[in-house]
Amino acid sequence: MRFGLLYSRIRRDEKLLLNEIRDRGHEVSKIDVRKQRFGMTEAPEDIAGCDLVLDRCLATSRSKYITEFVDAYDVPVVNDPDVAAVCADKAKNSLALANAGVPTPETEVTFTKEAALETIEDFGYPCVLKPVIGSWGRLMAKIDSRSAAEAILEHKETLGHYEHKVFYIQEFVEKPGRDIRVLATDGEPVAAMVRSSEHWLTNAAKGATTEAFELDEEAERLVEEASDAVGGGLLGVDLMETGVDEEGDPSGYTVHEVNHTVEFKALNDAVDIDVPAVVVDWLESKAEAEVPA
Amino acid sequence: MAECVECGAELDLHDDLEVGEIVDCSTCGTELEVLEANPPVLDRAPELEEDWGE
Repeated sequence: MRFGLLYSRIRRDEKLLLNEIRDRGHEVSKIDVRKQRFGMTEAPEDIAGCDLVLDRCLATSRSKYITEFVDAYDVPVVNDPDVAAVCADKAKNSLALANAGVPTPETEVTFTKEAALETIEDFGYPCVLKPVIGSWGRLMAKIDSRSAAEAILEHKETLGHYEHKVFYIQEFVEKPGRDIRVLATDGEPVAAMVRSSEHWLTNAAKGATTEAFELDEEAERLVEEASDAVGGGLLGVDLMETGVDEEGDPSGYTVHEVNHTVEFKALNDAVDIDVPAVVVDWLESKAEAEVPA
Repeated sequence: MAECVECGAELDLHDDLEVGEIVDCSTCGTELEVLEANPPVLDRAPELEEDWGE
C-alpha cells in the first residue's frame, strides 16, 4: 500500500505514524505542503497513486483546502474535506453537535460587540469567549465581569482578524478540574484520557497532566454520536463531565469539540494501548475499502 | 554533526531524524527544523501561526 502524509511540521504524532506505516512494509510519501502546487484537475506527483492520503497539516487553513483538493483528485483522504470544514470551525462544530442532539455547552454567535455583550450578560459570569478558529487553548477568554467583557470585545473588534469579529460565546461549564479526550475512528473509541489542571484550561498543550480514562457506556455512545454528527473519520472528541455521583463517577457529559487533525502523543503516553498501531489498522482498512473490487 | 544556526552550539541529534521534524537547541532553546536528515541540515523553524493546532 502507498500512503501519503500531508504535513508542514513533523510532530511526534506524525513520527509515530510514519514509523508504524513503514514497519508494516507500506510505502509512505511525505508531502510537505509548503512546497506543493495544487492545480484544479491533475494531482501533484506525490499525491497521484496514493491509496490513501492522511492530512496531518498543522495549519487549519491549509488542512481545509488541501483535503478539498485531494478529494477532487479522486484520491481517498482522511479526514474527508466536509469533516475538516466542520471540525475546523467551532461555530460549525457546535451547530453539528446541537443539530444531532449531542449534549454540548450552550453557545451563541454574534457579529457585533454590542450583541456579544447582550449574550454575555444573559449567560452570566463567568462565561467563555473563544475564537472560531484556533487550538491548544489559545486566545480563550474566561470572562468574569462586564468590564472584562467590554475590554476583550473591544480588543477583538479593533485588533483582530475578521474571524475575531465572529464572537463565539459559550456557557462556562463547572467541570471537575479535568476534561476527557477520546481518540476515535468512525465513532469507535481507540483510547481515552483525562486532562487535569488547576487552570480552567485543561489542554495538554497548556501543560495539563494526563491519565488513562475508562469510558462508560454513555460516554461511548456520545463519542459515536459526536463522530457521526461531524461526518466520522479519525477524530479527537472532547467531553466534559457535568457532574459526579456519590462514588465520584461521572453523572453526565457534554461534548464541547471534535478535532479533525487530532494529536495523540499525550494519549499514547497515558494509555497501555498502542495508539499509532490501532490508527494504522484503521487506515489500512479505509484504504482497502477504497480499492475497486 | 550539526550546529545551531542561532547560537552555534553543537547539536545533540538523535539517530532517526525525520525531515520536517523540529528539534530544540539545548543551549539557546531555538526551535530548528530538519531540512535534510543525512547529513543533517537544520534552519530556524517557522514561528507559530494563529491557525495552528489540531
